[in-house]
Amino acid sequence: MQVRSQADPTIGADTMLINADKGNPLFDRNFNPYLTNKRTASTWIYEPLVLVNPLDGEQIPWLAESWELPGARTIDMTIRQARWSDGEEFTADDVKFTFDLFQANPSLDTKGAWQHLDSLEVQGDHVVFHLQTDDVPALAVLGVTCIVPRHLWRDVADPSTFRNENPVGTGPFVLGNYNPQQYSMDRNEDYWQAEKIEIAHLILPGTSNQLDTVTRGYDWSYSFISDVEGTWGAASEHNKFWFPPGGIIALVPNHTVAPFDDVDVRRGMSLALDRARIAQVASEGYMQPAGQTGLMLPNQQEWLNPDIPDQGMVAQDRDGALAAFAQSGWTLQGDKLVDAGGKQLGFALTSANGYTDWTRAAQEVQRQLGEIGLDVSLQLPQPAGYQSALGNGEFEVAIGGMGGGDVFRAFNDLMSSDFVTEVGKTTQANYERFSDDAVDDLLTAFKSSTDPAAQLRAAQALQQKVYDELPVIGLYYGGLWGLYNDAKFTGWPTEADPYMAPQNYDSAPLGIFTRLRLTGKGGAA
Amino acid sequence: MTALDTAAPPRVSRVPGAGFPGRYLLGKLGLFVLTLWAAVTVNFALPRLMPGTPADAAVAKLSQNGPVSPATRAAIEAQLGVPDGNLLSQYVSYLHQVLTLDFGVSYTFYPQTVSSMVSQALPYTLVLVGAVTVLAFVLGTLIGVASAWKRGTWLDALPTLSGSFLSTFPYFWTALLLLFFLGYVLHWFPTTGAYSATTTPAFGLDFLGDALAHAALPAITILLTSLGGWILGMRNAMINTLGDDYVTFAEANGLRGRTVAIRYAARNAILPNLTGFGLSLGGVVGGSVLVEQVFGYPGIGYLLFNAVIGQDYPLMQALFLMITVSVLVANFLVDVLYGLLDPRTRK
Repeated sequence: MQVRSQADPTIGADTMLINADKGNPLFDRNFNPYLTNKRTASTWIYEPLVLVNPLDGEQIPWLAESWELPGARTIDMTIRQARWSDGEEFTADDVKFTFDLFQANPSLDTKGAWQHLDSLEVQGDHVVFHLQTDDVPALAVLGVTCIVPRHLWRDVADPSTFRNENPVGTGPFVLGNYNPQQYSMDRNEDYWQAEKIEIAHLILPGTSNQLDTVTRGYDWSYSFISDVEGTWGAASEHNKFWFPPGGIIALVPNHTVAPFDDVDVRRGMSLALDRARIAQVASEGYMQPAGQTGLMLPNQQEWLNPDIPDQGMVAQDRDGALAAFAQSGWTLQGDKLVDAGGKQLGFALTSANGYTDWTRAAQEVQRQLGEIGLDVSLQLPQPAGYQSALGNGEFEVAIGGMGGGDVFRAFNDLMSSDFVTEVGKTTQANYERFSDDAVDDLLTAFKSSTDPAAQLRAAQALQQKVYDELPVIGLYYGGLWGLYNDAKFTGWPTEADPYMAPQNYDSAPLGIFTRLRLTGKGGAA
Repeated sequence: MTALDTAAPPRVSRVPGAGFPGRYLLGKLGLFVLTLWAAVTVNFALPRLMPGTPADAAVAKLSQNGPVSPATRAAIEAQLGVPDGNLLSQYVSYLHQVLTLDFGVSYTFYPQTVSSMVSQALPYTLVLVGAVTVLAFVLGTLIGVASAWKRGTWLDALPTLSGSFLSTFPYFWTALLLLFFLGYVLHWFPTTGAYSATTTPAFGLDFLGDALAHAALPAITILLTSLGGWILGMRNAMINTLGDDYVTFAEANGLRGRTVAIRYAARNAILPNLTGFGLSLGGVVGGSVLVEQVFGYPGIGYLLFNAVIGQDYPLMQALFLMITVSVLVANFLVDVLYGLLDPRTRK
């Protein structure tokens, strides 16, 4: 039986029904953009200085009209002319106030601005950021910070628990009707690029299930749905989807646990795997296998090291795998890979319970490594337990997500020894606890150069390290699950025009709202 | 005093001066307090045995949308905090919280307090599950009486068969079937929420009708799946009493059929069903997790589900405690009621 999408006839042709916010069970009226439980739309009411495309790290001037880096330790931003939705003028003082707010309330500093920042000063419509070290990638961190109005927030007694029920921002929409099960947003007529916004209203219902996603006539949704063509796609001829890579799903071997500290063992595991098959099984064929460079392709194609063969794709090669295992003393006896003492090579593979695509990938890895004699068992704790095991280093091999649009940050989080802590102490990146002085030097070089050519050289050398040392073993890309309907609005980001990630959380929608055009034909069907 | 009155079972509730021994009551009360303390303590220990902190849960949730930066994690930890102090001091402050009914700030709904979340969700569950539980009990018991009285006719076969058939379906399966056919295919009922998104909760006929329409599918689910149990329970107990001498005697005395069925047989047969009713009233608060989940009904069950997923200790503890206490209180009341109705249990 085919379920068809049923548009709500009361929703106008200029109004977008968007499936972006989950109330659980009811919406909490919380529009503080820095709290974990904020309403999704708070990052469309408050805007960042720089809009970063999560697909490839492209930086788009937003509340900052332009910027310069006089040196690797200084960022000089020119602030745009804009107004808060209550009519007050947006100024450089608001920017300084926001960063001062984070310094006083570290729990609000969700992007980690003060890990980079030393001080900042206002000079007319300029804000000058002084950094702690030579730190060019700090621009991406400071830039994505949402700016709040000084004239309202300076009177807030405790910003870290402030629910900001009546938000005033610079963004394209202002809060309309609010109700614990649904809220609406109205176009901000004084928006600084109001001429680009054709959407008059947004409606955000609290959503509950995937049937709801498919049948309700949403213009924009974000969700992995099994058999997307047969469900979302079949529900309406205008229903489209685009699933670009948004991260890399990888095997994370714990380098503090033998024999995973041995690069030959890691190489053996890598060569034993058929990544195309894993990608197929895990993502129903919607995602591509990932190469061994740490880059997301094609998003980050321009960074790719041309010396690495086959764009970093590692083909399954069982003889090569056995040869690599043999290098570190594991040989095939019967159908088991054993060491000199006859002990079989094996490990517990940790993933999170309920992450079904990861679980399917883990089962496929278990099967494929089993075929060349490894004994792999699966461990599937609850997500919090998984996260805790990963952070504390209490695992043998785990499945994890990594990468991201910002190339420096992707490599830094993957391999910087700054994150290495002893087992039992939580780390927040580099979960495999990889450490290499040469890599740290490359990261420093990358970070401290304002010269794009030097950055590219460092990035390419880092890819070579990922390829040779296998800190983690890339499996397949994690997707961004963009579902949209082009009956009422056109101009969505697509594979042919990947101007923004198709996600409807964080700031990315700002870039999409400004590009969507009305078709004039109402009623998504 | 007529012969008929002596033929009837003794009206135990009116036995004059039979006295309701204080010792019995005191014993039950002591047991109640002891169980409550044990439940509260288990309630304290269980979430702490789960691996991972609330921040881990929040990061795990975020990381499904892509890698979470170390800075974000640090801010989340600062917002949610990490349970501090040794276990003993945590236990003492927990007991204090329980006594003062202050369960602090929820992690998943930060910075909302637990009590505000619970008071938002509780009315929906009480009204939906509570009303349907009462309705199912009354309906099921009446149908059970009727089918036992008309044993062997279609009036017996139909409810007995369909009742036992429906009650074998798992709760959520019935819920999904109803949701799909009545909600998505036929569009008879709204599919999610407790009221239309465009209405504002207010006292008035409009809102009431809207809320009833939204409660319809979950209510039908609970009714369908629980009715069979009441019917069968009542029918079987009733058939037993119908065979008793005093019923035969009453019939032989030429009393009207309905009088015999209701006043003689049913009144005695209802005791076991009454126990079940007490217990299911106690289970109202926590008994609807799946149904509320399927229909996106913003009650306690849905809240509990989210609390567990989000490793929200304060919220989980408050909800578990509410569920435990309501079951314990229901148990206690049933015990007391039984002691009142049937002196044999007091021995």
